[in-house]
Amino acid sequence: MLLFRSEEHVRRWCEQWALAPGATLSLEQAWRLAHGWFEADRGAPEWQRQPLERVEALFASLGLTGAFWNLRG
Amino acid sequence: MDLEDILRRHIYDVTLAIGAPPAIAALADAAGQNADEVRAALQRLAVARILVLQPGSSEILMAPPFSAVPTPFLVTAERRGAASAESQTFSSYANCAWDALGVPVMMRTPARVTTACGCCGEAIVVDVEPDRPPHGAGVIHFAVPALRWWHDIVFT
Repeated sequence: MLLFRSEEHVRRWCEQWALAPGATLSLEQAWRLAHGWFEADRGAPEWQRQPLERVEALFASLGLTGAFWNLRG
Repeated sequence: MDLEDILRRHIYDVTLAIGAPPAIAALADAAGQNADEVRAALQRLAVARILVLQPGSSEILMAPPFSAVPTPFLVTAERRGAASAESQTFSSYANCAWDALGVPVMMRTPARVTTACGCCGEAIVVDVEPDRPPHGAGVIHFAVPALRWWHDIVFT
């Protein structure tokens, strides 16, 4: 995942590398995703990877739905 | 507690202290195990998608959100040491733009992400608080659908 100055720069980059456009998040959306993902203390004895259902709920809470964000195949 | 849990805790303790995950030799010393046992436990952590290892050496490549090798996502923070009133600069590399935003969240401290536009190379600096989202221009592009992230986690 890369940071771009704008959606226009994402479009140019995809064109340059002949890639289909993926998903573009605002800084705020991406921070909220990072917050949900990394808030837990990974050094804590009880830490475990989040179950699929919680990841799906995090995606949904940020409006990240549809085929691109599907985790179940 | 099994060896994987011991290593996971130690890896994050060290990374949050010095900004990069420890090498196998240091992990072996810390855990009182030989390098082969540590390497096998790291492989199990990688299978569980908790770490990503370097393909040749089996050293840690990613202890998300931190990278063991330089990347385009430098994250720095000023923080006070426990034994000193003077602030110290914490410096680390994140694996990607998303992970870069995760570093201050995990550290629970403000941090600065220094990177460049993936398209044109223009410098981008984002100051990130641990408890509220940043504002300003800039977007993060996910190139690969979520279901395929782990097909090649280095390119997402």
